[in-house]
Amino acid sequence: MTTTVTAPGTPAPAVPRRPGAGALRQYLTALRTPRGAFGAGLLLVLIAVALLAPLLFPGGYDDQSGDSLVGASAAHWMGTDELGRDILARTIYGLRTDLSLILAAVPVSAVIGTLMGLTGVVSRLLGAAMQRALDIILGFPGLVLGMSVVLVLGTGWLSLFVAVLISGLPGFGRLSRAGLQVEQEREYVLAAKVLGVRKRTVLVRHVLPNIMDPIVVGAAVYMVVAIFIVSGLSIVGLGIKPPVPSLGAMLNVGARYIEVHPAYVLGPGLVLLLLALAFTLLSNALNKAVLRK
Amino acid sequence: MIHFLIRRLPSVLLVLVATTAIAFLLPRLAPGDPAAIAAGPEATAEQVAAIRVEMGLDRPLAEQYVHWMGGLLTGDLGQSLQFKRPVAELIGSRVESTFELTVAATILLVAVSLGLGIFAGSARSRLSRFTADASNTVLLAMPPFLFGLLLIILFGVVFRLLPISGEVAVLDDPVIGLQYLILPAVAMAVPMGGHVAMLVQSSMDNAWRQDYVDLAVAKGVPRRWITLRHVVRNSLGPAAVTIGMRFGDMLAGAVVIEMIFARNGIGQLGVSGVLSADYNLVQVIIVGTVLIAVVVQLLTEIAMAVLDPRVRLGA
Repeated sequence: MTTTVTAPGTPAPAVPRRPGAGALRQYLTALRTPRGAFGAGLLLVLIAVALLAPLLFPGGYDDQSGDSLVGASAAHWMGTDELGRDILARTIYGLRTDLSLILAAVPVSAVIGTLMGLTGVVSRLLGAAMQRALDIILGFPGLVLGMSVVLVLGTGWLSLFVAVLISGLPGFGRLSRAGLQVEQEREYVLAAKVLGVRKRTVLVRHVLPNIMDPIVVGAAVYMVVAIFIVSGLSIVGLGIKPPVPSLGAMLNVGARYIEVHPAYVLGPGLVLLLLALAFTLLSNALNKAVLRK
Repeated sequence: MIHFLIRRLPSVLLVLVATTAIAFLLPRLAPGDPAAIAAGPEATAEQVAAIRVEMGLDRPLAEQYVHWMGGLLTGDLGQSLQFKRPVAELIGSRVESTFELTVAATILLVAVSLGLGIFAGSARSRLSRFTADASNTVLLAMPPFLFGLLLIILFGVVFRLLPISGEVAVLDDPVIGLQYLILPAVAMAVPMGGHVAMLVQSSMDNAWRQDYVDLAVAKGVPRRWITLRHVVRNSLGPAAVTIGMRFGDMLAGAVVIEMIFARNGIGQLGVSGVLSADYNLVQVIIVGTVLIAVVVQLLTEIAMAVLDPRVRLGA
């Protein structure tokens, strides 16, 4: 770590932010607000439950020992499904599926989208071409894009991953491009250029850390959209293949028994709502923390 | 105005042409031979070869694309592989259902956005502010299909007030038709309404800080009148833009809503098409959805350009 010494009395110079600890600390201030604390707490509980699923339900999600379509009881808190499987166990394993999908796909989408937005640095033509490509993706509503992906790759984990990945690119690309355009004109970037710092170094060391904030917030917001895409495709039968549970697929089957067994829909539905709510609150708090700077 | 259109047109056309190209390439990107899929699992090699020629798959890719585009532009949408009927006929028989749903949902969306947004934006007491914030946040996190399922449980199972599956055309029987339409339309509109309401709220908060509002307050204009004349009026732009820009998302949302409420619309047709690899059908639905979404976006931009010289002049 280098320390900057400033003469007493002179205002601190506008030092560009460095990657790492400072940024993280700033994001963590989001947790001090009620929204942020509640969102983060909720998310941690959901992740913990998803991780502990094998311990909580040693029988796994495929244990067909119960009677079918029984309402809530002490043995099965949410009742059993049409094959006599415990709905709570399947919900928690479904949460695991959905959570692992979005936690894998959204960061990849954010990284690739951000890089696509920055291609203008390499050459103006490439940057413009990337923008057009992103515009085209933007023309596809999320679910239609998902249908197109499933049409090519078939149903399954990979299709959902790819759909979430591609659908997020335009948002991240625009955020990084907009950030780049602002930062490029800043004095510290010009100063670095004058000093003869290499283009790539300026980009990685100076520009990138300073355009991260909206991208981090954007990623949190996109988590919610990703949940909608994944569960939306699953609920119409274009998602994860049975018997592996996912929240959307459970709602798909549960909807058929909604009149006799509402818990079949309410259980997975509630978990889905809590998951989306956790990310909504978190993105909200992050946004405020970033703006407070 | 003309200049604005000329400036926007190239990128709109590019998106549309690219969309048709992507839709055209989808079956060619998929693993497996489209002709074999179209012929079905029991077809002999000769039958597959015959279908390949019939579908034009033996010709160069560019020629196939031009031929396919020519068909789209002249109204020949091809033959559904799954139903063995013309795609145009299939879509035609279902378009009314989706159209009804989307129109009803859009009307509701505008009402919900404005109602919730203006309530949140003019809420003064701690309690009403908190209520508005909480309901908007929950709506932001609420997927439309889940909201639909909750509506079904509440109004169809617990209170048996409204029909929960199937449909009756509104034009055939307005009273019964609307009863079938109301739950799916509410499910589509309300969650997105929360999104727009939040925008209305923040632009109203913004407008309250403007000088012209201060002036009106100083003049002694009644609060209600200021809200209506100055604050709400100046906050409608962002809401209108969002509704227009996200129309495509709403249209795509119909896919899921139709499934839940067992409505025979385009969305259901599309899902069954994807599941049975009915490329000819799905391609048309993809192009159609993107076309409608892009046109509505363009219309939104035109409306904004008419209303706001800053947009028109490209500031």
